[in-house]
Amino acid sequence: MKAAPLDLAVLRARLAAQPGRPFWRSLEEAADTEEFRAYLAAEFPACSLPAPAPDRRRFLQLMAASLAMSGLAACGRGGGNSRIVPNVRESQRLVPGLPTYYASAALLDGFANGIQVTTFDGRPVKVEGNEAHPWSRGGTDVFAQASVLQLYDPDRSQTVRRLGRISDWQTFGGVMAGHVAAIRAEHGRGLRLLTGPVTSPSLAAQIEALRTDFPEMHWHVLETVPRAAVRDAATTAFGRPLESIPRFDRAEVVVALDADFLDQGPQQVGLARRWSDARRASLATGRLLVLHAAAPSPTLTSAKADFPVVASSRGMAALADGLLADIAAGSSAAPGTDPASQWRARAAAALHAARGRGIVVAGAAQPAAVHLAAHRINAALGNTGTTVLHLTPATAPAEPIESLVAAMAAGAVSAVLMFDTNPVYTAPADLDFSAALARVPLKIHAGLHVDETANAADWHLPLSHPLEAWGDARAFDGTISMQQPTIMPLYDTRSAGELLSVIFEPASRSGLAILQDFWRGSRSAAAFFPGWDQSLRDGFIPGSAFPAETVRTPPAAAASALARTTGDLDLLIRPDPSVWDGSFANVGWLQELPKPLTKMTWDNLVAISPRTAERLHLDNGEIVEIVAGPRRTQGPVWITPGQADDAATITLGYGRGSAGSVADGVGFDAYALRTAASPWISSGVVLRRHGGRTPLATTQLHSTMEGHDFVRIQPLGAPPVGDNTAFTQPSFYPRLQTDGRSWGMVIDTDACIGCNACVVACQSENNIPVVGREQMLAARGMHWLRVDRYYGGPLDDPQTHFMPVPCMMCEQAPCEVACPVEATVHDHEGLNLMVYNRCVGTRACSGYCPYKVRRFNFHDYSAGAEPSLQAQRNPDVTVRAGGVMEKCTYCVQRIAAARVEADQAGRPIRDGEVRTACQQACPTRAITFGDLADRGSAVAHAFADPRNYALLGELNTRPHTTYLATLAPAAPPKPEG
Amino acid sequence: MAQLFTPRADAIFRFVLLVVGVGIVAALLVVGGIAHSGYFSGVDTIAQQPVPFSHKHHAGELGIDCRYCHTTVEIAATAGMPPTWTCMTCHSQVWAGAPMLAPVRQSLADDRPLQWVRVSQLPSYVYFDHSIHIAKGIGCSSCHGRIDRMQLTYPVHAFSMSFCLNCHRAPQDFVRPKKEIFNMAWHPPADQARIGRALAQQYHIDQKVGRLTDCSICHR
Repeated sequence: MKAAPLDLAVLRARLAAQPGRPFWRSLEEAADTEEFRAYLAAEFPACSLPAPAPDRRRFLQLMAASLAMSGLAACGRGGGNSRIVPNVRESQRLVPGLPTYYASAALLDGFANGIQVTTFDGRPVKVEGNEAHPWSRGGTDVFAQASVLQLYDPDRSQTVRRLGRISDWQTFGGVMAGHVAAIRAEHGRGLRLLTGPVTSPSLAAQIEALRTDFPEMHWHVLETVPRAAVRDAATTAFGRPLESIPRFDRAEVVVALDADFLDQGPQQVGLARRWSDARRASLATGRLLVLHAAAPSPTLTSAKADFPVVASSRGMAALADGLLADIAAGSSAAPGTDPASQWRARAAAALHAARGRGIVVAGAAQPAAVHLAAHRINAALGNTGTTVLHLTPATAPAEPIESLVAAMAAGAVSAVLMFDTNPVYTAPADLDFSAALARVPLKIHAGLHVDETANAADWHLPLSHPLEAWGDARAFDGTISMQQPTIMPLYDTRSAGELLSVIFEPASRSGLAILQDFWRGSRSAAAFFPGWDQSLRDGFIPGSAFPAETVRTPPAAAASALARTTGDLDLLIRPDPSVWDGSFANVGWLQELPKPLTKMTWDNLVAISPRTAERLHLDNGEIVEIVAGPRRTQGPVWITPGQADDAATITLGYGRGSAGSVADGVGFDAYALRTAASPWISSGVVLRRHGGRTPLATTQLHSTMEGHDFVRIQPLGAPPVGDNTAFTQPSFYPRLQTDGRSWGMVIDTDACIGCNACVVACQSENNIPVVGREQMLAARGMHWLRVDRYYGGPLDDPQTHFMPVPCMMCEQAPCEVACPVEATVHDHEGLNLMVYNRCVGTRACSGYCPYKVRRFNFHDYSAGAEPSLQAQRNPDVTVRAGGVMEKCTYCVQRIAAARVEADQAGRPIRDGEVRTACQQACPTRAITFGDLADRGSAVAHAFADPRNYALLGELNTRPHTTYLATLAPAAPPKPEG
Repeated sequence: MAQLFTPRADAIFRFVLLVVGVGIVAALLVVGGIAHSGYFSGVDTIAQQPVPFSHKHHAGELGIDCRYCHTTVEIAATAGMPPTWTCMTCHSQVWAGAPMLAPVRQSLADDRPLQWVRVSQLPSYVYFDHSIHIAKGIGCSSCHGRIDRMQLTYPVHAFSMSFCLNCHRAPQDFVRPKKEIFNMAWHPPADQARIGRALAQQYHIDQKVGRLTDCSICHR
């Protein structure tokens, strides 16, 4: 987009002048500049030309050639040289071409979510949520969905390396035997383990056994997303480190202090489900579960708040303490006029009104002081133990990394074994981990990739991917989840447990043996195996969640005003919603995933508020230098509504030096600004214009609203905002004939948290290619399902709304009129089909589509993929060639499979039998899918909801995808005073 | 001024026009003929297989059921090809030393699969499912012909879209009673029009709206 600086003051005034609640998608659209109009005209996905455009002569040549070739495509010889290769021996369980499902666990920061892996002919192709898992309850996050691509990542480490040269496990074992003998003689002095967070009971037991063997060994854990503040606050409050779990189902009011219960992280899937379930249930009772959220940087949690406020970063602790004072005093002091204190008064009043039915929750990024204030408020209101439960943390306790670096720097470490961690990249910059590591004589690293740490180590060992290894792990609530291999290891790799066994045990055991030995203990085979088999089938051990601990009342203490150096800005450092801490950086699906709030792909950003942008005269995409004390780095600025004026936010996981062909060179490294003492925030940061700007591949500009209000808000008690006018208009077209079925989808925008799990699930299920940064810049992303993000209200304190947009499956589809070759037609079950082998690529359908859900495959993006990536593809879905239009099909392959199964049994397809990939992945069950013609189906019930409305229904397209309006509390309670 | 064209020129011109016209039609006919011939479609063409397997002997003369080897035909999209072990269940006892069966024995000894050349090929964008056709009363011979009479296996139909639509447009002409599905000799009886409609109803095959000709039935 052309560099046209935004006049934010004019924009703010325009938004303020609009009556009601204006909705807008982006700053550029709201400003409605000439440049934005020109950009849309030039870059509108449906209208863009292949670049560079061929000249006339070349165009005629191509046309002539393609005409000449057009008939030849049909002339392939039938039999050809295609081979059928049967097995030598019959497999007892696998039927070629039929899927086999395995229950397993997906790991994020060591925590488990229950998953079910679909495999075809021995190849895992899709990860689904495990419906029975007591924590994740069938939902997944983007990382679990993308883990299947990570398994097949061609850049994965495949061999043992010694000083960068290829070696093998035997050589490694031989060399290690001598080292281990020497370490054993010294009782393990000088031996250090460094790992990521470990929740696995069997792995923790293995390490515990090592400690018995080597009493002077130390075990350190590097948390890239530290939960130390949570544990510290609980230690102060309750005398021991505990995690807090909100019980939304018992609550009426939730007050979130930069909380992250809906944000990406190990808690997301379970808590988001509990949140949405409770919100739905509260709607039925007429007392809506209301969320008040204060955050210095917008999060998914603050985006879903009924009463959000942009809180100053420095003022968070004061805000928490103030809330505590309000609660203790029984009433709030006269609130000021600023939004934060008004918010505080409203939240305090709501908490008061709902004593024992309120929840105050703080996010992991907040310091212990804020968590402590939350504990005290909950105790004062009698929430502790009822709406807020406290559980033992699932992570096994270990020493932090600081003591390891100190010991290494002092020369006290003779051998360090690092696995499931990449400290050279992720350790806080002020520790100077690399320099300290260089002093260690024996450095062993095991990981999925030959990453930054592997390059600094003497030995690098390839680690098995969780989808190809045995293991166990605890979910956030402690539920023990079993992880079983879904494929033989692709390369000669070992799991973490096997690795410890190879190095330290006289006879190395297999991953299965390690796991069985641990869980069997001293039980007999007859007593052990029935339960074992059941837990593998289920994917978890029932009843293994931690029980709620009874805690004491936190001791009262003086308000702990944080001593802060004053400076220009605070720098907030957060995990990235797409690539997390960098461990998923080489997964193309995640790099190309539009981040929930900025809709940015292939980059991380320096998020600043509109006021900060005005003050520093910065514009979107301008490169700034971030100076945080002695450390500095550079990144592009992004003006983010909802950002505090005293804070800039950057995300981790980018600027990788050695991650693989996808991630290398993308974005900037936020770890370079991180300190061990304060991993989440740096005060006194200066932003300096560095000069130059970078084009940013955001998808939020790819279309415009043209004045339509797509988002609808349903205040409780108000007349319904939904309507069925979209389906009652007269039409000249004949009504569609059906065979009795009519597939439809209803999306509850109130439940949608914008987490993107559906987008990655769709990409995984439907063989959707990754197109790369340049193509995303040209607005040629291929996602069949997008999540639109809308802002409502003023520029500096907006409400945020999410709206997933798949194909609308219009009954009277404009695209079908456009197609000259009938490549897009209706079937008799209400589906708008896309027949790829008929499509000639005129793109007229996309031009006619009012929802812009059609994607054109400009450059045969799927061609030439590495063989390992081809193994991921879903065999039931066509891999589309170049020059073909594609779009969401409501997962027609799943409908076909269900139809075949039902037809064989001579029964109708049951409600809920077909679940689309997006629906299955959704952690909040925002998507309902089924047969609209079946009056008893869940989707028909949702369709009959008074909140139901159609997108652009006035166009008389009669869409089969409709939306439920977002809920809002009846009338905002008046702040006291 | 002398005439530019001789009196014969007109005749030559007409003749050339005729030749060009006839030539174009002939060329189209030839190209079309070749495109629909067995040379391109593979119909009636025998492919060289690793072992000259005879369906005539096994299915026809010995009467081995189709499903003895094609085990998944009733449950999966593919009919299934027999693993080497299935061949060896008999051929470890019968013709155990026949030179013709050396590749089969070799496959078992080396644990390397036999590689058969595909006889019935569908384009990759067609998602055909054997199991549902069996369940809906379509017999093997409707598509594969008299396999039980084939000394060496060859396709009898070009699996073009028109071949599939032929049946999908009028399933009542082709459906059989369940017990006749694996009967290679089945022929539509004289009153197929009546029986077929009754069977289609019994199998819940749509005969009203044309559901079977929806694109989504075969393409995704």
